[in-house]
Amino acid sequence: MTTPSEQPSRRDEQRDTQPDGQLPSVEYGLIRAHVFASLATLLISVGFGIVVATKFTFPEFLGGHAWLTWGRLRYNHTQGIFFGWLGNAFLAFLYYVVPRLANRPVLSRTLGWFLFWIWNCAVVLPGWVLVAAGFSQPLEWAEFPLVVDAFVVLAFILMVFEFVLPFLRARLSDLYVSAWYIIGGIIFTMLAYPVGNLVPELVPGARGAAFSGLWIHDAVGLYVTPFALAIAYYVIPATTRRAIFSHFLSMVGFWVLFFTYPLNGTHHYVYSAIPMAAQKGAIIASAYLGMDVILVVTNLLLSLRGSSGTVGRDVPLRFVWFGVVSYLLVSLQGSVQALMPVNRFIHFTDWVIGHSHFAMIGFASFLALGGIAHVWQRIPGTRYNQRTMNWSFWLLAAGLTLMVADLTIAGLVEAQVWASSAPWIESVRAVASYWLVRTFSGLPVLAGFVLFWTSLISGPRPSPATALAASREVSEDIAAPEGDPPTSHGAPSTRRFSYAHVVIFGAGVGFFALSFLVLAILPGKELEDEIERVAPVTMPTLTASERRGRVVYGREGCAYCHTQQIRFLAEDVRRFGAPTETWETKYDYPQLWGTRRIGPDLSREFNVRPRDWQLTHLYNPRLVVQDSMMPPFSWLFSGSPDRPAQEALDVLAYIESLGRARQLSGFERQALASSVEPGTADMAMAGEPSARATPATVPIPMTGGYSLSAPVLHPASDPADLQEEVSRGCVVFAANCASCHGPGGAGDGKASASLIPKPANLTAARFSDERLSSVLWNGVAGSSMPPWRQLPTEDLRALVAFIQSLHVPGSAPSTQAATSLNEAESLFAANCASCHGARGDGNGPVAGALAPQPTNFHLKKPNPEKVLEVLANGLPGTAMPPWNIQLSVDQRNALAEFLPSLYDAPRESSKE
Amino acid sequence: MINLIVIVISAMMLALLLGWWRWPAFRAWIEAPKYSMLRQERRFDDQNAR
Repeated sequence: MTTPSEQPSRRDEQRDTQPDGQLPSVEYGLIRAHVFASLATLLISVGFGIVVATKFTFPEFLGGHAWLTWGRLRYNHTQGIFFGWLGNAFLAFLYYVVPRLANRPVLSRTLGWFLFWIWNCAVVLPGWVLVAAGFSQPLEWAEFPLVVDAFVVLAFILMVFEFVLPFLRARLSDLYVSAWYIIGGIIFTMLAYPVGNLVPELVPGARGAAFSGLWIHDAVGLYVTPFALAIAYYVIPATTRRAIFSHFLSMVGFWVLFFTYPLNGTHHYVYSAIPMAAQKGAIIASAYLGMDVILVVTNLLLSLRGSSGTVGRDVPLRFVWFGVVSYLLVSLQGSVQALMPVNRFIHFTDWVIGHSHFAMIGFASFLALGGIAHVWQRIPGTRYNQRTMNWSFWLLAAGLTLMVADLTIAGLVEAQVWASSAPWIESVRAVASYWLVRTFSGLPVLAGFVLFWTSLISGPRPSPATALAASREVSEDIAAPEGDPPTSHGAPSTRRFSYAHVVIFGAGVGFFALSFLVLAILPGKELEDEIERVAPVTMPTLTASERRGRVVYGREGCAYCHTQQIRFLAEDVRRFGAPTETWETKYDYPQLWGTRRIGPDLSREFNVRPRDWQLTHLYNPRLVVQDSMMPPFSWLFSGSPDRPAQEALDVLAYIESLGRARQLSGFERQALASSVEPGTADMAMAGEPSARATPATVPIPMTGGYSLSAPVLHPASDPADLQEEVSRGCVVFAANCASCHGPGGAGDGKASASLIPKPANLTAARFSDERLSSVLWNGVAGSSMPPWRQLPTEDLRALVAFIQSLHVPGSAPSTQAATSLNEAESLFAANCASCHGARGDGNGPVAGALAPQPTNFHLKKPNPEKVLEVLANGLPGTAMPPWNIQLSVDQRNALAEFLPSLYDAPRESSKE
Repeated sequence: MINLIVIVISAMMLALLLGWWRWPAFRAWIEAPKYSMLRQERRFDDQNAR
């Protein structure tokens, strides 16, 4: 875009003459040290990632150890990539490129080694150890604990001295675009890092989330992207020996990126309680960012015009080219994902995970690899193995392509299931095979990285001069060197532009501050006002146990699978309940909203499930949810679910506190009164999905029993149809019920050992259509039986048919020594009627206060053997006590004989 | 908010494009670093080759 006549020479001449015409020294030792540190931490981090991915399919894989749990490994995976791999790779490149761009050496070799040891031995390694030991921060891209964060900030301050000062000593107006990206990346990350890591610890809930959102995007936009683009802008012209297409466009791209990237953050919380103006501002900024990336990538690809053969031959350049193309694709993908019509469906899905892997591997890692390989080829005494590096490229490209495609499809499948009324576990089942493919896709990626390292250490060892000569041969074979500016071209005066970059830099800092003002501080003020206006006066705080549980919940990464953020969307409300409001999060230090849903949202968990279910689920989720992929937390127990350690009880206490303030304050009742319609059940039966899901504004009551308003599901009367329903019910039962009730329905499932009351023995009683329909629709209050109304009507009806088919008629007990039926009736009236009612309807005087409610013998007709068993042992976890002391064997036999007369006889006659 | 972002960024882009189109000196000044970068790269290569 510039004619030769416009090429200036004066500044080049000035540069040539300083200082003493000598070139600055380059710290090759530091380059090599950072390269090896980057690759070592890369392999470890990818290893963490593959274990994490494997646990999606095999949750028990490497289980049973606190430091190998999914959450901690996930934290170490992302932080290892962020600091260990990319941080060291970028630093290696900086030591190579800063002396070239600034024409001055970095500030100090000693400072460089100090920085190396701080980065690796005070940030990466201690960070990993502390996270594994349970000291972490449950904030995305900020998982290392605060003590490590302090060293990160210190490292960035040192980077300012080491890398920015040499540039400041040069003339700012003379800086190449890579230098601008380096300066901007160091300074803006230094400013943004403490804000993103510290502020959410001080500002709670939704207000803190606004800051977290900023950092999530700043981590990519102000740290990863600038250094990666600095590599692209350097390697392309240095390899092709041709100037980039337009430095003007590169600077436009640079400043628009720094202006708009910080404004993107809140697009991670679209449809949340954060003010809509901030959300829409972030979405607009995302669109601008997409346009800016088109500009940047167009400029970079035009810089490669005529060099397609070079890209094919030169592997480092090919890495860079792949990274640049990935940058375009992933950025446009991100802009689309931020748009509200798309975001409402795909947010929290695996597509977002695919997007982040695309960004961190396809864009950042490919550019970092290209930068390292480019440098390795040009520093004294090192050279890579071309063949091995070529294999590395193709393995990485293939693995990444498979991974991104797989996660994209998985995300779309999840979105489809979430938009339906299917139970949550269906989304887990639907993408299970995709998770397996994702794990396998990580293997070529790991192999590619291993080969990359191998190529660096297996290359020929030429003398420095030979290496450089060879390097130049390669380059000059590719294209004739360019860049000798004309000695006389009538250069116009550019003095008036001398301070333009300073002005623009000031504007950049201003935009950075503006991003915090408009996306965090102003929305935060608005949210604070809303809390004051809306929050109940007596909102309970967390107890000591709940606070401890919150810490455990955070350190184990629970928030990375379970959101605590019900969005203002029909799909969310229908599935989880009323949207999360700001005041509900006023005590959340730091916020645990989450940005991913593998398990369901937990915002309304208060009063939903009994403790033994929760503890059993925490001990081993597959005991109660057969296809769950949640990792077991057995190390929080002393060998069994009914022997929880204090930390398990703390986690349970915390989970049970979620949504408590809302329910106790009466918000739920208000919402219920305005939302529940009398015909809800009928609507559901007619296929109206909005009425099918559990309205979480109405958590299952612990007392008061099941609702009799549930629709009655009658199995087919035609024997052939009935048999078909039974077969279908068998499948549904195996998938959803067998883990508690056992494969044969005898109440002996894997979870039964730790559930109180025990799951019902479905073979020992005849259940009426009404009873089964009611239980399936509403669950059983006071037990671990949840509602299953999310299942399709056909499945529910099939379950009724199947469960009724399980009943095994029993034989009547021996009555040889039994007293008369009249005496048994008197016994029932004296001992049982207060709970079960005079006619066994389960409506005795005290029944209303019991949960689970006493059995209604007209709806659940137990066999005599079951009656005798219950009379002898009681029903642990219910109000039914054992009667083996108060009643003799004969009396209990008499009652077992008498009971069928309550439900086998016509009720009219009973009344008579 | 949205209007502010759109207006500010659009105005800056227009100003830059205007500067590019109107002042050749600006054009020459802002394009210069891409050549100096290449010269510097060659100088390093030459020195190392020696």
